[in-house]
Amino acid sequence: MSTTTIAEHAHVDHHAHDDHAHHHQPWYRQYLFSTDHKVIAKQFLLSSLIFLFVGGAFALFIRWQLAYPGKPVPVIGALMPDTWVDAPGSGIITPEFYAQLLTMHGTVMIFFVIIPFAVGMFGNFCIPLMIGTDDMALPRLNMWSFWLIPPAGLIMMSAFWVDGGYAAAGWTSYPPLSASIGNPVMKLNGQTLWLISLFLVGFSSIMGAVNYVTTVLNKRAKGMKLFDMPLTVWGLFITAIIITLGTPVLAAALSMLFMDNFLHTNFFLPDHLITSQKYFGGGQPVLWQHLFWFYSHPAVYIMILPLMGIVSDVMATFSRKPIYGYKAMVFAIAGIAFLGFVVWGHHMFQSGMNPLLGTTFMLSTIVIAVPSSIKVFNWLGTLWRGNIKFSSAMLNALAFVSMFIIGGLSGVFMASAPVDIYIHDTYFIVAHIHYVLFGGSLFGIFSGIYYWFPKMFGKMLSETWGRRHFFWTFLFFNLTFFPMHVLGVGGHMRRIYDPNVYDFLKGMGGLNEFITIAAIGLGFSQLILVANIIWSIKNGRKASRNPWRANTLEWAAPAHPGHGNFDRDITVYRGPYEFGVEGRDTDYWPQWEPGKSITVNHQTVVVADDVDDTKVFGAH
Amino acid sequence: MGDILSVFDMLSWFPENISTFGQELDNLFAIIYYISVAIFFLTFGLMGWFLVKYRFKPERRGYNYHGNNIVEVTWTILPTILFAGIGVYSDGIWEMTKYSKRVPKPDVEILVLGKTFGWVFLYPGADGKFGRNAFNDRTARALMNPSNPFGKDPEDPAASDDFMTENQFRVPVNANVVMRGSSQDVLHSFFLPHMRVKQDVVPGTWMNIWYNAFKTGTYELACAELCGGGHYSMRAEYQVLSKADYDKWLDGKVAEQAAAAAPVAEAPASDTTAAAATH
Repeated sequence: MSTTTIAEHAHVDHHAHDDHAHHHQPWYRQYLFSTDHKVIAKQFLLSSLIFLFVGGAFALFIRWQLAYPGKPVPVIGALMPDTWVDAPGSGIITPEFYAQLLTMHGTVMIFFVIIPFAVGMFGNFCIPLMIGTDDMALPRLNMWSFWLIPPAGLIMMSAFWVDGGYAAAGWTSYPPLSASIGNPVMKLNGQTLWLISLFLVGFSSIMGAVNYVTTVLNKRAKGMKLFDMPLTVWGLFITAIIITLGTPVLAAALSMLFMDNFLHTNFFLPDHLITSQKYFGGGQPVLWQHLFWFYSHPAVYIMILPLMGIVSDVMATFSRKPIYGYKAMVFAIAGIAFLGFVVWGHHMFQSGMNPLLGTTFMLSTIVIAVPSSIKVFNWLGTLWRGNIKFSSAMLNALAFVSMFIIGGLSGVFMASAPVDIYIHDTYFIVAHIHYVLFGGSLFGIFSGIYYWFPKMFGKMLSETWGRRHFFWTFLFFNLTFFPMHVLGVGGHMRRIYDPNVYDFLKGMGGLNEFITIAAIGLGFSQLILVANIIWSIKNGRKASRNPWRANTLEWAAPAHPGHGNFDRDITVYRGPYEFGVEGRDTDYWPQWEPGKSITVNHQTVVVADDVDDTKVFGAH
Repeated sequence: MGDILSVFDMLSWFPENISTFGQELDNLFAIIYYISVAIFFLTFGLMGWFLVKYRFKPERRGYNYHGNNIVEVTWTILPTILFAGIGVYSDGIWEMTKYSKRVPKPDVEILVLGKTFGWVFLYPGADGKFGRNAFNDRTARALMNPSNPFGKDPEDPAASDDFMTENQFRVPVNANVVMRGSSQDVLHSFFLPHMRVKQDVVPGTWMNIWYNAFKTGTYELACAELCGGGHYSMRAEYQVLSKADYDKWLDGKVAEQAAAAAPVAEAPASDTTAAAATH
């Protein structure tokens, strides 16, 4: 043990020296237009965190309006632009601005927060490090995949200055509403800017994904088979395949809708609409929904599969146990990814597509519950007989699993097409999506941030503040989103500006108020995370090379790796989850440490290097 | 406090059900709800137990165990059976409520059209039959305009008694009501919470919506699909009436329609010009 420590120190010094060697690059190549995957990951972290607060602010406006319809927004109400409020300075949100808010909240959170966090940040940071290579296969393309995000975000936000403001047709942008009937030809408006922006985001995703697939297939360290890869890499790899298959379809759909808006074509507009517009005819609005969901349902898995991988790795490390059923986990991820492409119609049960398709899509959708439950059971199996440490990363991982269970179960309701008749487009759906995307994805993202922060910045995050952040987030998250199921059962439609219009929703004012108060708490709890990150980068304890005593390859790199990542040659000798192996001093056995082992009765046994596997009874 | 606890009794929040198939949908919801609650307690129970029992102790080590195929297969097959069962059971109800061939023979047939922001309804009038309009003849779509949203053909005598109502409609109790829904501009969704009915209405296409109410009263129709700033205000009321009350109302409407139709001989002409203008 002591020899390892000395060796680690030696490497740290060596690394410090190494850093200076890279000073020949100008500052803008180092920090701005860097091709180093770790710098790009940090850029994704920064942009996603900024957009997290933008999207969160949109959500709080929405919540305020629902809890206190017709009351001025407190504190900042008087400062809001005249186009947002019903009378200058009144602070009362207009219904039109409300529609913009809900559109922008969904769009920003999905396309500028969760996907860039899950795929952009973790994909960039984890893949090269965890497969033991120096960088991505195509570093320049990788740089571009980030540098499309800021212009895309600016284009999206620039709708503030155009007539009519932001896009207001929901993040799903169903035409004809999103086809901006009556918009003059060749005129940019919120909706067209939305389309251009998402087109760029899609480009960014594809460039990233091509890179991930290439890198995983070609640049794995010596000795690393596909089934020696940690589940994080598997999750990202399979996600990248989904992106390369799905995003082009979204791009096609976006182009068609853009042409409908900008050039007045008629892909999605039927004949003889009673509107001020004169150029419609021949199109089919439901076509958009098919194209959109053909991408956007797999996109749900784009947002959750990488986090499933991350959470698995965190849980194995902090339970000090191998992942239960590693291969089953890989096949479950692949199964979810495959099924993800044949279930898009479950968003459209009430859309007016042939009800026969409702049967088809219901059955395929319900099958997704199977790989999902396999994953849950395997996570529980990983905890079983572990030695569990409740670090901030682990707490968030456990929150992911438990909230994913709730989100998955509420998914069964809407997967059942007849139940969906009633709960479709109600708050039940809103509750479900937030349990999966906040309770699932965002807790997974937090878990990953706490887990890899030491490797990313060379400093430890404060565990105390990490736990506080987790506690308040978990509490307020459930107080905010669980009651939304109840609203949905009561029939409360989503995306309505004022529920008091309806008699059957009159009894829900109290619940709406409660949710809003919790949501404000939830929003402000996130400041703890930001403060913790900033404070820890400056003042945090210096991280050691392998602070969590984990097995995967990124922990073989120096504490704060520079360009090129590793200061030694990496050879992989075993799978990523060898914890608690009998006959070893330490309870972990990193992938890069030489040594021979065999598997007997689902357990790993250390053997001398000269033992022939085939001679050992029960080995396979 | 009672309010807070009632959050956990989710099923109590349903609005009253007044349609014949509504109870089956609510029962299906309840079945899935109870299964979910059971799975919730099973998984959370196991998790809580493991987290307490296997919490960190310096003298212990995690158990090096990579999983067991028999266990994996078991927990693959059991959920498959459970969920496939839910799927097959659901499908029966889905087919009954939504399949076109399962739409019952209508006692009352009504056309409904969503518009930003409101609803219009067309009743077949005294003869109980629709004249030529955008629903039964696609070419009549050319006649659709703001004052004649259903594209009623003024030259068809059968159409002259078809009357329109706006933001309210009435149906008889214990009768199969079949509505054909569409929209004149953007997507809307025809949502009758008490009837457990929801169907998006799509411009250019007609959707089958049917129900059979067993209770009289006044209820609400809402729009459930975002359709612009005024989406929230797209509320309408409907009344479920006894057969006698319904017939009385219908007769009154028919008389009203006849009175309105007689003096306005110009109306068809202005309709045609309006239609030509939009063309």
